[in-house]
Amino acid sequence: MKKKLLTMALVGAMVLGAMTGCGSNTDHTGSPASKDGKEEAVSGKGGEAIRIVNGKIEIDGPLKAFAKQYQEKTGQEVVIESLGGGVDINGALKNYLAAGNMPDIFVFGGEGDYQTWKDYMVDLSGEEWASQTDFGFQSADGKTVGFPYAVEGYGITYNKDVLEAAGIDPASLTTYDGFKQVFETIDSKKEELGITAVCSVAAESGQMYWATGNHLFGYYLSGGLERGDAKYIDMLKAGTVDEERLGQFADFMKLLFDYSDKNTLISGTYDDQLALWAQGKTAFITQGNWIDPSLPDYQVKFDCGIAPLAFTKEEMKGVLADCPSWWAVYNKGNNTDAAKAFLKELATSADGQKSLVTDCGMISPYTTCTVSPETPLAKSLKTYVDAGNTYSWEWAKMPEGMAMNATAAVFELYAKGEIDRDTFVTMMETAIADYVKK
Amino acid sequence: MDGNAKKVVFMLPVLLGVLMVIYALYLDLFYKNMAYRGILLVLGFLLVIAGLYFLPGKRHRMIVNGLFLLPLLGAFVITVLIPFLFGIFYSFTNWNGIGFTQVVGLANYVNMFRSPDYLYSLVITFLFTVVNMIFVNFTAFALALLCTSGARGRNFYRASFFLPNLIGGIVLGYVWQFIFNKVFPSLFKGSLSMLTDPDLAFLAILIVSTWQYAGYIMMIYVTGLQSVPKDVLEASGVDGANGLKTLFHIKLPMIANTFTVCIFLTLVNSFKQFDLNFAITNGAPSRILGAKAIASTEFLALNIYNTAIAKNQYAQGQTKAVVFFIILAIVSLTQVTISKRREIEL
Repeated sequence: MKKKLLTMALVGAMVLGAMTGCGSNTDHTGSPASKDGKEEAVSGKGGEAIRIVNGKIEIDGPLKAFAKQYQEKTGQEVVIESLGGGVDINGALKNYLAAGNMPDIFVFGGEGDYQTWKDYMVDLSGEEWASQTDFGFQSADGKTVGFPYAVEGYGITYNKDVLEAAGIDPASLTTYDGFKQVFETIDSKKEELGITAVCSVAAESGQMYWATGNHLFGYYLSGGLERGDAKYIDMLKAGTVDEERLGQFADFMKLLFDYSDKNTLISGTYDDQLALWAQGKTAFITQGNWIDPSLPDYQVKFDCGIAPLAFTKEEMKGVLADCPSWWAVYNKGNNTDAAKAFLKELATSADGQKSLVTDCGMISPYTTCTVSPETPLAKSLKTYVDAGNTYSWEWAKMPEGMAMNATAAVFELYAKGEIDRDTFVTMMETAIADYVKK
Repeated sequence: MDGNAKKVVFMLPVLLGVLMVIYALYLDLFYKNMAYRGILLVLGFLLVIAGLYFLPGKRHRMIVNGLFLLPLLGAFVITVLIPFLFGIFYSFTNWNGIGFTQVVGLANYVNMFRSPDYLYSLVITFLFTVVNMIFVNFTAFALALLCTSGARGRNFYRASFFLPNLIGGIVLGYVWQFIFNKVFPSLFKGSLSMLTDPDLAFLAILIVSTWQYAGYIMMIYVTGLQSVPKDVLEASGVDGANGLKTLFHIKLPMIANTFTVCIFLTLVNSFKQFDLNFAITNGAPSRILGAKAIASTEFLALNIYNTAIAKNQYAQGQTKAVVFFIILAIVSLTQVTISKRREIEL
């Protein structure tokens, strides 16, 4: 009999094991009701902890420090969970939702993600910070649903020391002709300046699709336009392009590619591209202020700044700057008020501003922010933001996966010289039309 | 207590358990907010099991056997069968990973076969599978012959050929990407990276795949070769058969079942190739096909991944995965049936 009991216990334990696996699985239908159990486990003592899923792994440390500070001040516990570095954030969030373990604040990356998540977002229009920024994410009916935490900007980043040595004023980089002249001048003085190529660009389509298909192409979509002018993105969504403008853009790309380091251009990764420029081997790089934190790794001594990727014949004085992603408050959570209070603290308090700007090394999207950034590119970018010389990131509204699955391939062929300018334009047109049709 | 009374007594917990399970499932499926439904479910199951266990009857042994199978069956059903069935169901909807709003019927399947990138992926994957299967098996068999030939230090070779298989595919992929992008161009001055040419990039993946997988398959061949009975070999030696004759007329037929296993493994493995593909090229470089630019090395698995994750078209990706499964099942079953015919029963 004893043996029997033992067998029973074993069978019971095994079944229990199998069932616990099942427990999280049968929740697949995304029942929002199943939150409570998990929440209690996290909160422990005091009020319920709020949980944030942050999509920028670089700022994980400073953000956690701020959360701790916030807990000391208010007693509200904040748990930061950072995803990034190649993690599929949307997929992770979908898993959380399916498991009834949705965070109180979650990150989303623009129009496409908004469409996926719009049923789960709290309207934040009434918050104090919403009126202090131009960068909040607006839903179709004009409600602020996304909390902006940083502004990022990019164009063509230059090595100021090299430009000065070549006798060039960065302010002249506002037209196609200006760039052409500057590239030619620098190219003729390459040895004297100690560089191996003029530009550091990477246009391989497998790993660098975001740099070409999103960032560079972003200038075609909104470079030189008023913020929020959706002319070209609307055309793109309808499957067409402005051939005249795309032609000018193609000319500029040709110029850029011609003066770039060939190997990096067609097979380089982001690290290769950055290393080339940061080691002072090129004068320009087509990246933005996010390279600031990497500069110390290369012991960069030279001064640098961001110039617009001015591909037009007319002057283009601004750079593309916008929020890379926003935070939304989960509407079915139990802690929406605590989450709102935390966001308010982060956006409006001196500590919050210091955390975002100084500790995270970002540019605050808030007009009320008094803290100034200290890193070179952030400083350079801030001059554009302050002067109102910025264009919105309309490329973030492109159909999802378009850069990776359609346009980057065309950029790569162009960079390799396999197609000419006119073919680039027509190929881009068919790629976009095909992608939109699907 | 006589048998019948006992039966009734133990039927009660079974019934109660069934009711509890049904109620718990009802709570979950209809979004009822009740925290204890999980416990209810498990308790219900336990009651059913306990009741069945103590239930007297002629089929007692069968029930006990069934109970012992339950954990395994449960795991299989939960992790394989249910997701698979759900997958098939989702492929007929416009599911986006969270929920779906309508059932679209066969639209996903029609779209799939209309998109050139998918068809291209299908072709290139078949091509890769065939070539890779040949490469891997030839290399592996040659290595296996080497390792069983009695050459000095063969254990060392065996270990070192097997080693690449122990490294994860993603790491391996990035290491090789570096080799193709940096080491080769600097070895051969002025040459461009292999990964910038569509055909050479295909070859590059083949090389790495063979390098990674041949050692593993070699081990199976080695086991096969070692299991060839010595007396048969001796007898052939007495009859004057040379090495080549022995190989083709004795060893190969004797280890035909090893070939079945190895070809099956390589076939399935090549067809499902994902990590190397993802890490080495991620679809690049692009190829001009007609007037369109197409990712030249995007194999099926990567195509599915990109459809679901990058394009956020979960239902479409799921559809491709279902078709992927069907193709894989057909191909591998055909292969096994054909190979089986050649085997010799000892």
